[in-house]
Amino acid sequence: MNGRRPAELERLLGDPLDPDSPLGHRETLAADERGEPSAAAEAALDTYGLNAEFVPVELGGRLDRLDRLSHVLRPVFRRDCALGVGYGITGFIAGVGVWSAGSTEQRRRAAELLLSGGRIAAAYTELAHGSDVGRGELRTEPGPDGSLLLTGGKQMINNIERADAAVTLARTGDDPGSRSHSQLLIDLTTADRDKAVVIRPRLATSALRGCHIAGVDFTRFPLGRDSIVGEPGRGLENVMRAFQVTRAVLPGMMLGGLDTQLRTVLAFALERRLYGRSVAELPYVRSALTGAFADLLVCDSLATVTARSLHLRPEHAGVLSALSKYLVADLVQDAAQRLAAVLGARSFLREGPYGIVQKMLRDLPVAALAHAGGTVCRASVVPQLPALARRGWREPEPAPADLFRVNGALPPLDYGRLQLTPRGADVLTSVLGEQPGPREPAELAALCAAFTGELRRMAEVELPPGDRAVTAGPDAFALAARYAVVLAAAACVGIWRHNRADTDRLLADPAWAITALRRLAARIGLRVPPGPHSGTEAALFALLLERRSAHRSFDLYGDPLAGQPHPLPALPADPRTTE
Amino acid sequence: MTLAARPHALEEIRNWLVGRAAFYLERPATAVDPSVPLVEYGLDSVYALAFCGDIEDEYDIVVEQTLAWDHPTVDAMAAHLHGILAGEQP
Repeated sequence: MNGRRPAELERLLGDPLDPDSPLGHRETLAADERGEPSAAAEAALDTYGLNAEFVPVELGGRLDRLDRLSHVLRPVFRRDCALGVGYGITGFIAGVGVWSAGSTEQRRRAAELLLSGGRIAAAYTELAHGSDVGRGELRTEPGPDGSLLLTGGKQMINNIERADAAVTLARTGDDPGSRSHSQLLIDLTTADRDKAVVIRPRLATSALRGCHIAGVDFTRFPLGRDSIVGEPGRGLENVMRAFQVTRAVLPGMMLGGLDTQLRTVLAFALERRLYGRSVAELPYVRSALTGAFADLLVCDSLATVTARSLHLRPEHAGVLSALSKYLVADLVQDAAQRLAAVLGARSFLREGPYGIVQKMLRDLPVAALAHAGGTVCRASVVPQLPALARRGWREPEPAPADLFRVNGALPPLDYGRLQLTPRGADVLTSVLGEQPGPREPAELAALCAAFTGELRRMAEVELPPGDRAVTAGPDAFALAARYAVVLAAAACVGIWRHNRADTDRLLADPAWAITALRRLAARIGLRVPPGPHSGTEAALFALLLERRSAHRSFDLYGDPLAGQPHPLPALPADPRTTE
Repeated sequence: MTLAARPHALEEIRNWLVGRAAFYLERPATAVDPSVPLVEYGLDSVYALAFCGDIEDEYDIVVEQTLAWDHPTVDAMAAHLHGILAGEQP
């Protein structure tokens, strides 16, 4: 069971509230102030062997399931997004480029490098072109003896300074169009690189300050032909497939950051007393806390279903992967902002018991931008909207129950089955139209009906022919965003329906799913029938407090956490009760 | 006879493809030269995927999604499609 690995990492990283721990929030904040990664934290991840999580099992690593990968990185993101992005995820992004398209030898080399603690940078970004990798200017020309000479630069690359290798996309042919790029696996340790490879100075960033983000310039850097990953000229389609996998795992990791925000602000709200009661009892605050909790569960539902769909329905996972990355990042940032507002002035303090909140607040938006921001993700879906409207939104395919079984088995990931587009198919939203199961609340059925109605309405929207690419107007982006919300609603319903028999009280209770769907509906201005709102909120708040007291994560898994819940101070005797 | 039932003339396929390109470009069909790579009109890799979807819907077949990448002009696409569809005739 996967349960061992996140628990093992959690134990290794220890109690973040322990002021003496070199891995606690105090040191995390100090390292952030220094603008450096925490050496102790990196050493701990070395000890755990985190890189093995990014290497397939068949190559000697531990990577077998994408949902497990997200799950195992949560302890890291609960403590420090910079550590998660900098140490971890970039190695995974680079690796997938090789696992998916590389030769046996390339896969072996990359695996060996990562497993021995080396670093591979994912060098896809150019400032002039952002995430539009097909328009990048890095290029090769033929060199002596069949070699390639690489010229051009990549910018804003994590870990390029310390990288032993890099995976990138370069133009290797002259024809305009989409058959002129190749992925390259570049060895950066070769002796004669000094003039041909220049690392640009590190950039100062407002967030993820522990990440080393810099650039690299190549000037006729010689590469063997064995640097080409996959068929020459097929780099663009390789990357489009690989990114479906990598975009699918980031959301499930980012949730860890929101967990800490919620935990910290909840502790504050329970400790602080105003107007004769704890701040957590004020209706506005209670609502903000349960809202953030519900949003976290929405994110976990969508992220989990997306990761599982890559295994179960790889042909149709591309749109889900892009929209999951967009929406989860948005929901996490929005929730973090609202939680900071509850904390009030203390949300600006870089020290003290709540100092971690301002760091998370700065880090989460930049972590969300890593590897493709929400606009880029929606832009990749915009061209597929007409096909979705013709097909999937009118007749979604039946969603397999296995998509939703949180601890259920999964077949191995088959990169060969990934497609550039799902051809308009939808394999998730059908769950909204399914007959309700036994003893399902009527309110949930009414919410499902509202979302299926919305999907039918969306199918009638006509987009002008020019609205098929990144230059599309705002209506197209808004439509992609609406679809993301409908997908999230379907994920929540499916997750609740197929895990309610779990012994965990949160998973069994429809309160979270009802709250989740209400909030998603409100987000897109969808009218839903009124329901017993306050009762549901009270139930959800009680479940939040239960998780807090048990010191378990606020996500679908409810993992035990290191340390103890934030202590509540002994309350002074209330003078009014002594009358 | 329905479109699917009779043999597809190369010219008919070419005209239909020109029509689709013109639709995306929001220009008249006469503006599209079937021997010019569509990427030169600004129909890049992203549009190429939409094209593929249109072809699949129109001719009720499944094709490689990179068809337009491998056959960059209307002429090339038409010839390729004609071959596929001719192969499907009884």
